[in-house]
Amino acid sequence: MTSFIQKIAFLSFLIMGLNSCSKEVKIDIPGFDEQIVIDGSIETGTPAIIFLSNSKDIYAPTDINSYLNGFISGATVTVSNGTITDTLTEICTDNLPAGFESIAAAFFGLPIEQLVNLHLCAYVSIGLVGEVGKTYTLKVIHNNKTYTSSTKIENPTALDNLFWREQVNLPGYGFSWAKITDSPVMGDAYRWEVKNISDGSFSKPFQPFTDDRFYNGKTFEFSVENPMSFKDTTIENQYKGYYKLGDTIVVKFSKLGKKEYQFFEKKYNQIFSGGNPFATPTNIPSNIEGGALGIWAGFSPWYDTLICVP
Amino acid sequence: MKLFPLFFSFFFTFLSFSQTKYTLSGYITDGKNGEVMVGTKIFIPSINQGTVSNNYGFYSLSVPSGTYQVEFRTGVYAIEVRSLDLTKNLVYNLEIGADAVQNLNEVVINGKKGENTNSTKMGQVELEMENIKTLPAFMGEVDVIKIIQLLPGVSSVSEGGQGFYVRGGGPDQNLVLLDEAVVYNAAHLFGFFSVFNSDAVKSVSLTKGGMPANFGGRLSSVLEVNMNEGNNKQFKVTGGIGAISSRLTVEGPIVKNKGSFIISGRRTYIDVLAKALIPDTSPFAGSGYFFYDLNLKMNYTLSKKDRVFLSGYYGKDVFSFANKNSDFGVQMPWGNGIAALRWNHLFSSKLFMNLTATATDYKFQFISNQDQFRFGLTSGVRDIGSKLDFSYFPNTKHKIKFGANYIFHTFTPSSVSAQSDSVVFDTGSPQQLFSHEEALYFLDEFDVNEALKFNVGLRYSMYQQVGPFTRYIKGGIGSQDTAINYAPGSLIKNYQGFEPRLSMRWMLPDKSSIKAGYAYNYQYVHLTSLSAVSLPTDIWFPSTDKAKPQTGWQGSVGYFKNFNDDKWETSVEIYYKGMNNLIEYKEGALPGDNINDNTDNLLVYGKGWAYGIEFFVKRTVGKFTGWIGYTWSKTERKFPDLNQGNIYPAKYDRRHDLSIVGTYKLNDRWTFSSAFIFATGNTLTLPTSWYVQEQNLLLNYGARNSTRMAPYHRLDISATWYDKAFKMKTDEVTGKQIQVKKKFRQNWAFSVYNVYNRANPFFLFVDQDGKLLDGDFKLAVKQVSLFPIIPSVTWNFEF
Repeated sequence: MTSFIQKIAFLSFLIMGLNSCSKEVKIDIPGFDEQIVIDGSIETGTPAIIFLSNSKDIYAPTDINSYLNGFISGATVTVSNGTITDTLTEICTDNLPAGFESIAAAFFGLPIEQLVNLHLCAYVSIGLVGEVGKTYTLKVIHNNKTYTSSTKIENPTALDNLFWREQVNLPGYGFSWAKITDSPVMGDAYRWEVKNISDGSFSKPFQPFTDDRFYNGKTFEFSVENPMSFKDTTIENQYKGYYKLGDTIVVKFSKLGKKEYQFFEKKYNQIFSGGNPFATPTNIPSNIEGGALGIWAGFSPWYDTLICVP
Repeated sequence: MKLFPLFFSFFFTFLSFSQTKYTLSGYITDGKNGEVMVGTKIFIPSINQGTVSNNYGFYSLSVPSGTYQVEFRTGVYAIEVRSLDLTKNLVYNLEIGADAVQNLNEVVINGKKGENTNSTKMGQVELEMENIKTLPAFMGEVDVIKIIQLLPGVSSVSEGGQGFYVRGGGPDQNLVLLDEAVVYNAAHLFGFFSVFNSDAVKSVSLTKGGMPANFGGRLSSVLEVNMNEGNNKQFKVTGGIGAISSRLTVEGPIVKNKGSFIISGRRTYIDVLAKALIPDTSPFAGSGYFFYDLNLKMNYTLSKKDRVFLSGYYGKDVFSFANKNSDFGVQMPWGNGIAALRWNHLFSSKLFMNLTATATDYKFQFISNQDQFRFGLTSGVRDIGSKLDFSYFPNTKHKIKFGANYIFHTFTPSSVSAQSDSVVFDTGSPQQLFSHEEALYFLDEFDVNEALKFNVGLRYSMYQQVGPFTRYIKGGIGSQDTAINYAPGSLIKNYQGFEPRLSMRWMLPDKSSIKAGYAYNYQYVHLTSLSAVSLPTDIWFPSTDKAKPQTGWQGSVGYFKNFNDDKWETSVEIYYKGMNNLIEYKEGALPGDNINDNTDNLLVYGKGWAYGIEFFVKRTVGKFTGWIGYTWSKTERKFPDLNQGNIYPAKYDRRHDLSIVGTYKLNDRWTFSSAFIFATGNTLTLPTSWYVQEQNLLLNYGARNSTRMAPYHRLDISATWYDKAFKMKTDEVTGKQIQVKKKFRQNWAFSVYNVYNRANPFFLFVDQDGKLLDGDFKLAVKQVSLFPIIPSVTWNFEF
């Protein structure tokens, strides 16, 4: 459905593009109120990682230094799985503890060599990693205010099949395809990520999240584009989005909860259509209590490898 | 209920007039083409009594026995005076202006002279197409709705948009009627052009306050568009070739002086231009857009007492987009089909009846294909209805109307289909909602004395939502949804209520008048919109067991005065409007959220109010005509579930709205016009802050409609050149040169839209460019403007 909105927005812009023009304006937008932003996640087998920052005025600078200097230090962050309560350690990418490089690289989607030159700071659970079926409670205390949330790592859903199908009009290139059998219980939600087998970090396609509103309990096939190809400047435009015959990729197909999905659904809806007049202005619903923006999400990944051959 | 004694005391006062009176009645038609003349004033100066012909040209006037000089006044021709013997009932049909040459350059006596101050009508404006056609036209397309938007108290939804807001009400609160059939979407080309082809339209009337009891079903206004009936004397062809479309109209008698027809068509060329610009080898071949519409009307006089009219409209917009490279295609057709069959019958010279059967069908579709995935969405509304209206003229002091109407609504808020190859996705059953809407009404317009006049009415409306229907009850996270199924025809919910209407005029000694009006209305249908601008994707939705009918009341008071022998009309009106059960989507709702759900589960309900003052100065006759309208207004909304329950301005809340419209007829050959508009900018919701999640920059929006766009202002000008009406010919008998009327007439209409090229805001958005971690990221608020200076020329002809 988000795809439908994208298309409507795209077509509408296309029509107006025939006659319209735009210019930058400085107009009074009242009502800015700084809020804490909590961006946290935990996956099966990995520690919890929490980023804390503040929201910025719409006219605030957006350069790299403003972003890097925007992280909040000195907060007290704890994560509990009901048995263990871990107080998270604040670490920065330019001073990572041994063994955290690949986790941080995967989290940021950046190569380690670029990451260590940036000052991205996060709170990490050294003494606790995600386990399937457990619920994780987050508590953040900063400036005498407390923010809380909880998330669950669901049972993963395996793909029935993963395969490559060559495009009819583009020999040697094609999308990745998967077959899934959704459970009969309404409310399942999934995230798709992928990486080349030799890469360290996963990439997300244009629309990485989906839920079973349309296909609850059904078995069907679907295709996903190659997100890495869009960053690769050596690939010609006509081949972008496709996997090449012989590519080997790792797919990470993660299950997440319904509330968490609502955050990501609205987030991607805003990314694709935010700001244009054909979409209703949408604030992204947080699952964090206490007045914070952001998300605390548990993911339950299932991995498979695909060799792109017919 | 306290209104009843008062109401019926007015109703029965006419019974007390017992002296011998005779009735003068008949039809007024245009001598040139046989079209009925609406609003012709029939006036007897010696007894200071008069009446006005109704929408079908019928009039009735009962006066004491005698011989009278009777004046027949229209807005187009000079006064015609007849000496009529009223010592018995007299049926007098008049073909007015049969011998006159309609010369708009000439100063004619205004037929509606004094109407501004005399009538009980408040907030009502009537426009003749002949006058509208000389005003500046956007891209050369004469557009009645764009002219309506120049009136005080009326504002457009956006630049070029067809939707209009009347006195702070929403665009769905306007009852748009084409020959008495409801038009649900009056727009072509995403709202930039109206569905009303100017060649097929005869007159337009807007009632924005003091709605009389014979109208209902909407809170804010009634826009009546009457189609031409066709020339019943001779065949005639008119047409025009413009920048984006062409028009052709054929009219003529079915049987001379008894019946006529008119058929009028219009089509745009945008798709043809696109085809020329996009070669067949292009991946975008097959993309394009066009709209067309067709108007048809026939009438036939069955007898002296019976006449039938058949009106039809069919129009469609088709947008298509193709990208063969990505195997992606979209088809987006939408359109209206409208039909009305009317039967006029005279039971007596005092009792006139009109029976109407109407059908309306509006449908919007979106179909997209990508690879093996196919997605379809359909929404629409279909009405089948009938109206029975009586006009009773017991004496000169009373004009009574009563009647009933009925509509069976079928709404399809959304019907979604999706499939991937052979797998059909579960998109729920198509949502269709069925309902009956009925109303009874009675009104009496009467004179208490020469100074005081009332129009008192009462309307009783009823509405029933019926099955088949499935009510989904959402279980929330972690619990199952449930559903209640209603059988076909079963009653789900019933609403009903009285709608009192009252307007009065108090004539002051200096011939100025004070008027006041009050109207209470029910509205059983709603337009739900996810976007900040009107689009065909907006969905019409009926009242249900969950979505209550909108209710509203409006009170207004005005002072009306004419100057310089009625050449200048002025008025000042103050109004206050209250509205309840208004609907909006929940914050964050998406169109697809109603899959396996009811649309009304996504809605929230609230109230609104609007108040303002309108100033209007109009020059009605002479070489120079036009008007200045200024409105100061405020309109706000309060929804418990939106904007944290705080009051917020409506998106079309405009503090100031000014229109200056002028037409100057230089001579027989040239007419010049201009229109200037100034309006406070619309409100909108923009993000107040940004934040980062997973390296994505996200926006956080502030209070609803808390940002205001820059003011809107624009000047349009036009010039129309007419060829000579006569040519010289040698008289075969006398051999002298004589003037004869030319059979083929033509004119060229030149228009310039947005003369000083003002970049008016259409909308604002926050633009993101670059990547945050690459150091080249930029966030900027941008304003999109649609139309720069646009010159256009249209060639019009008739023969």
